[in-house]
Amino acid sequence: MSAFNAFMQILINGVLFGSMYGVAAIGLSLIFGSMQIVFIAQGAVIILAAYFTYWVFTLTGLDPFFCLILCLPVFMALGWGLYVGLFHKVARAGKNPSLLLAFGLMVLIENLMAFLWTPNTRAIRTSYTAIGLSVGPMQISFSRLMVFIISLAATGLVFLFMKKTLWGKAVRAASEDMGAAALLGISPRRVSGLTFAIGIALAGIAGVCTATTYPFDPYFGFLFSLKALIAVAFGGLGSVGGALLGGILLGLLESVGSYLISGGWADAISYAAFLLVIMLRPQGLFGQSTRAA
Amino acid sequence: MKKPIQRSAYILVAIVTLAFVAFPLLVDTEESYLVYFFFMCFIYVALAQGWNLVAGYAGQASFGQHAFFGLGAYITAITWKAGWTDFLDPVAMTLSGAGAALLAVVVGVALLAKLRGDYFALGTLGLGEILRVVFTQGGTLTGGPVGLLLPSSSYQSLGPYYFIALTIALFTFLFVWLLMRSRVGLALVAIREDEQAAASNGIHVLKFKILAFAAGAFFSGMCGSIYGYFLFHIHPLGFFSLNWALLPVLMTVLGGIGTLFGPVLGAFVLAGVFELANLYIPEIHPMFSGLFVILVMLFLPQGMMSLGGKGVLARLFPFILGLSNQRERR
Repeated sequence: MSAFNAFMQILINGVLFGSMYGVAAIGLSLIFGSMQIVFIAQGAVIILAAYFTYWVFTLTGLDPFFCLILCLPVFMALGWGLYVGLFHKVARAGKNPSLLLAFGLMVLIENLMAFLWTPNTRAIRTSYTAIGLSVGPMQISFSRLMVFIISLAATGLVFLFMKKTLWGKAVRAASEDMGAAALLGISPRRVSGLTFAIGIALAGIAGVCTATTYPFDPYFGFLFSLKALIAVAFGGLGSVGGALLGGILLGLLESVGSYLISGGWADAISYAAFLLVIMLRPQGLFGQSTRAA
Repeated sequence: MKKPIQRSAYILVAIVTLAFVAFPLLVDTEESYLVYFFFMCFIYVALAQGWNLVAGYAGQASFGQHAFFGLGAYITAITWKAGWTDFLDPVAMTLSGAGAALLAVVVGVALLAKLRGDYFALGTLGLGEILRVVFTQGGTLTGGPVGLLLPSSSYQSLGPYYFIALTIALFTFLFVWLLMRSRVGLALVAIREDEQAAASNGIHVLKFKILAFAAGAFFSGMCGSIYGYFLFHIHPLGFFSLNWALLPVLMTVLGGIGTLFGPVLGAFVLAGVFELANLYIPEIHPMFSGLFVILVMLFLPQGMMSLGGKGVLARLFPFILGLSNQRERR
């Protein structure tokens, strides 16, 4: 395989992997819109969903991608429950308590998973895990391609929901100005609950995707939160399409960075890019919103 | 109401300090677990108070204190290995603090001028993560992922560590106390409350923000230094661990952010809870710690100092009432 082909392969892998960051980033961006906090436990929830998929697959033999149908309602309910049970109460006390609540939740979920299911790395092996599709000289893993398609579909659905439905309009209004939205009869509790439900459901999707493509362990989630955060910053807060693009960009940056320089520097490269973006273009690389940092 | 409360605060600080100074004389420092526990508590107090200055008083929540903690530890280790400083050398500790403060000034000029609120928090978080990678990849100077091993034969007793950490904690506490009573403190609180109003009253906003950020970094660097001396093994994962950034935040908020005694109280309570959980329920300890944080935020989001105004605690310790009002009094 020539150097060019190898490079193309790396680009493809970067895009496919980045789409997963993108889905997580959309959830993070939505929750930020309603609560004004970075939901740091997002990654832990993603890994929880990965375990959910893992156990459904191991115990019932249900196909992991089919498990998505089971996973979505469960995680939507979880998101709603988290908001109504925890964040709604604490939101009144301000941002710091909400942020720390999310932190406590992350620690709790991570260690609960490690306690229940041991900290060992797990991976799902299906009949098609090793199957790859050949496109010219390039190999594309079937499950990664599925992940990419699911990510695009999820982004599209969220985008349509936000633009075409009344509820979506309410969510957008609330993220612009919660006070003004409430004056117009939008219930902050319901809208934030809905946003949380969608955000956590997206984490569920990302979890299913993680479970089918990569090995994972209980503590992998925090890194995922950070990556999703970087993707959000790339795309600009509050933009659904931007978050997906930001995720893909991050995936590309990481895979190309580790190819050209060295794997160890990949994290530093993404953080450096993140710092540059939030300092020079706080509205995101693709957005033209005027919201300042 | 102000005078007697001020006096009782002085007395409280003096008594607590004296008790801690006398404590190692009463017990065997090598045998007592409490000596080690208090040593860690002092480090946490200094870290939490440093963060409190930056976030609680100046209003710039930083999530990157672990960058300064780790940098301090590495400066200590590298200067010792090079033979420029000695074991438990005050010069090395000051240098570690100063190095961290210098980094804070350099980074602060860029970050603080451009970023506010969440973006600043995330930017500092990125800083810590970048430094960890840089030190992991640092080659022979930093020892790579394994880190630097220091001559552990220098260790003689826990006593010196205890007193140095106590001194650092006390120094931090007094520094913040005096600073907040000065014009600088007034400027910092003004910036926290309303940046534009502060600027229009002639306060150089960026200068004061950087000052607070650098002071907080100085304390973190010193803590990293003494902890490095204690472990004799400086490695990127342990010293650039996000815990060094998050625990002080947790302690400060638990105790009461923007109050002088809150971080101290929070540090001792949280360290105590974690330590007890670690001793008695080791299997589920980390889970319990997460649950504890959630419960505190649910029922006591403004921190323990906010309890002072009402209920049993106020009647038991009337002076707490005054202390918890310190923030409003300014």
